[in-house]
Amino acid sequence: MKILALVVAIVCFALCIGYASGVVQFAAHTPGPHYKHAVVFAVLGVLGLVWMRFQSGASAPTAR
Amino acid sequence: MLLAVLQGVSELFPISSLGHTVLLPALLGWRIDRSDPTFLAFVVALHLGTALALLLFYRSDWSRIVAGLWRSVARGRIEDDPDERLGWLLVAGTIPLALVGVFLEEPVKRFFGSATLVAGFLILNAFVMFLGERLKRAERNADVTLGALSYRSGVGVGLSQALALLPGISRSGSSIVAGLLAGLDHEDAARFSFLLATPAIGAASVLELPRLFAPAAHGVLIESIVGGALAAVTAYASVAFLTRYFRSNDLRPFGWYCLAFGALCLVLSVTKVIA
Repeated sequence: MKILALVVAIVCFALCIGYASGVVQFAAHTPGPHYKHAVVFAVLGVLGLVWMRFQSGASAPTAR
Repeated sequence: MLLAVLQGVSELFPISSLGHTVLLPALLGWRIDRSDPTFLAFVVALHLGTALALLLFYRSDWSRIVAGLWRSVARGRIEDDPDERLGWLLVAGTIPLALVGVFLEEPVKRFFGSATLVAGFLILNAFVMFLGERLKRAERNADVTLGALSYRSGVGVGLSQALALLPGISRSGSSIVAGLLAGLDHEDAARFSFLLATPAIGAASVLELPRLFAPAAHGVLIESIVGGALAAVTAYASVAFLTRYFRSNDLRPFGWYCLAFGALCLVLSVTKVIA
């Protein structure tokens, strides 16, 4: 699941850059950069990283 | 200014703000160019006012929710804390709306702008609310509290908001009905709907903020500020009223209103009295 979360985050950030630069035009209705799409995918990318953090046991309480 | 009051009230009452902003100007004979930059800037200000009113009304909830989200991220897991859980339920409910909104808003707007269709959707909105109430009354299980709502149900309630892209279908109406069907009582379903509305309306208006500062919108800056403030005041009063209303009442009066107003507009539109 941790790998899946990382993949989701990377794909979302890639789509964010793609929409912001105007390279990705999927489901866009006008040519050029689409900042609204980019912001949504940036937020989804961050949520992907949060999901990855939840999957990792890094911050789980350690037994002393 | 009438549009500002209309926005503040109809955005939160389950009667479709988008539907009313199509039907009322048609009924009153106002000629509004919806693609005009000045009109778009004005609409952004109204949405911003509504979002700020919601944020202000639920300020203590939001401060607890944000703190809960932060705690869970810092800790690396979600604990059995109601604020953390509610925060992630809101995130889960907002993701589908954000995706559907970004990809489908434009084509839907293009295809469903006529008064006849909007009136038809308003009637459909009434039946959705009647059906929701009927199913809720037929339910034998005890109500689920907001803190015990599953993430799947949260996503379902969030997704139901996407129906409001169709002008005439109410965002709060569809999400309250979805909340009721998920097992919430009216008060919790309305609270969850209004909390979900804050990021939805807030993000939509923040993303459109450049329109407010576009050179073409400078001529209506004062009108936009006053309109936004008016929308904020009416939205605050609306949410204060509705949270009290749903403690002991249901959606049916709004259903009857939508049915009557939708039927009237449908007849007037079909007979070409309104465009």
